[in-house]
Amino acid sequence: MKAYLSVFHIRRKMELQYRGAMLGGILCQMFFGLILISLYRALYASKPQELPISHVVSYVWLQQAFFRMLLASDPDLGDKIRTGSISYDLCRPMDLYGFYYIRIMAQKLTGSLMRGIPMLCFALFLPRGWGLTLPSSPPGLAISVLALILGLLCVCALENITMAFTMRTLDAKGVQAMLNLLMLILAGNILPLTLFPDSWQKVITLLPYAQLLDAPIRFYTGEYGMDRALRILLVQIVWVFLLTLLGRLMWSRNQKRLILQGG
Amino acid sequence: MNTAKLYLHSMGMLMKSQLQYPVSFFLQTLAQLVMEGGEMLALILVIDRFDRLGQWAAGDLFFFFGMMSVTFYLTECFGRGITGNFPYLIRSGGLDTILVRPRGVLTQVLCSAVDPRRITCIAVGVTALLIGSRLSGIRWAFLKGLLLVEGILSGCVLILGLFMTEAILCIHSVKSVEFVNALTYGGRSACQYPMDIYPRPLRVLFTVIAPFAMTLHLPASCILDKPLYGWPVWAAFVSPLSGPAVFLIIYVCFQKAMRFYRSTGN
Repeated sequence: MKAYLSVFHIRRKMELQYRGAMLGGILCQMFFGLILISLYRALYASKPQELPISHVVSYVWLQQAFFRMLLASDPDLGDKIRTGSISYDLCRPMDLYGFYYIRIMAQKLTGSLMRGIPMLCFALFLPRGWGLTLPSSPPGLAISVLALILGLLCVCALENITMAFTMRTLDAKGVQAMLNLLMLILAGNILPLTLFPDSWQKVITLLPYAQLLDAPIRFYTGEYGMDRALRILLVQIVWVFLLTLLGRLMWSRNQKRLILQGG
Repeated sequence: MNTAKLYLHSMGMLMKSQLQYPVSFFLQTLAQLVMEGGEMLALILVIDRFDRLGQWAAGDLFFFFGMMSVTFYLTECFGRGITGNFPYLIRSGGLDTILVRPRGVLTQVLCSAVDPRRITCIAVGVTALLIGSRLSGIRWAFLKGLLLVEGILSGCVLILGLFMTEAILCIHSVKSVEFVNALTYGGRSACQYPMDIYPRPLRVLFTVIAPFAMTLHLPASCILDKPLYGWPVWAAFVSPLSGPAVFLIIYVCFQKAMRFYRSTGN
């Protein structure tokens, strides 16, 4: 456990190094948020919907703030596999899956909190109809934080599955890009999942991608009430369990038949 | 003439080298299809829910989307040298080798990369244009075709220019300056939809400073017979020229900035 904690701290410090890049990232993300919100406001002006616009606006801000949680991958692993230096990791007296899981978690958590908190503070002070609204209720906020933690566990497990593909094919840019794009669409980053057709809602909210950010955001805006909290959290826990299991299986199979690239 | 020959020759060689890994190439091309297909899916879902956007009907929205993606990905495909890692070339000192060769800097950078994987994105864009043209019942005429080509080509030149600004800033600051992405990729996202739906600051930004609205939206709205901003028809023929104009300004800035270029060593 101590070893995992220290890996976490090392990665967290590395992620904190590039403050300039972080500021650029925040500005870019906010600009994208403003563009999307103007678009949805214009769409709502043409044809108002049942779902209030303030929910859509909050959805966009929260998605932009935690963007880094979705799209941040460990660049080292790919290089290590290509050059064969993954052999050093194999010598470590710790479980390889856990090692990479904790690394990616540190990166995603630090990255998204560092970017997310300043952005959300900014978004809270924007004029009405443009900014983030306060959470629906204190318990709603509490559950959405809990759901976000489960979402983080889910996305780390997904990332490890993607990495397992990288191990298999050496150059997995294609597979990786495709899985990432699937994630952006089905996690509600390109278009809020709440705006997908109503008949799709039942299915898309059950998919693993919806557990990452969509479920926490819906708790935040009050779209999911307290009565459904237990069910949704259960779905999330099941996915965390299944994805971790699948990832572990893939990693242990890979490790057995790993061929090191010499150099 | 010699330059064009050089460009075509290096494009041919680069294509060949990319096709050396056919499976990887195929998968990456497929990934591009998923990406642009996803954007189009978002548009379809938006239209499904909202039917229309201000004065624009479903077909018009497809047409605007198609025009943007064809333009943007044509640039990414053939101008990959500039839109890709031009800033990196400056940061790493790789520009030195270019400076000692007897050809212009931009020519060589343009010749250094091509990205044929974008072909699927362009195909999605063309499909959107066709759907848009069908749904909106556009009556095509020679002049309208000319306008479409003019808009797309000057849009390409504009995007090349905008990507060059990052290289210019890079000459001064060495570090890559990512907020320029707000103009390039942000412009792509914002200008998939007609400009008149946005609030004034965004409209000014994308009409005057990075004139996507002038190069793409005015011709498109003229083809659709629905004037944008209520401007007359002849304006649609003149306004795309703002793309090359912006490119020219940025080009002059680039030449000026090159005098400050100091190698970072390698």
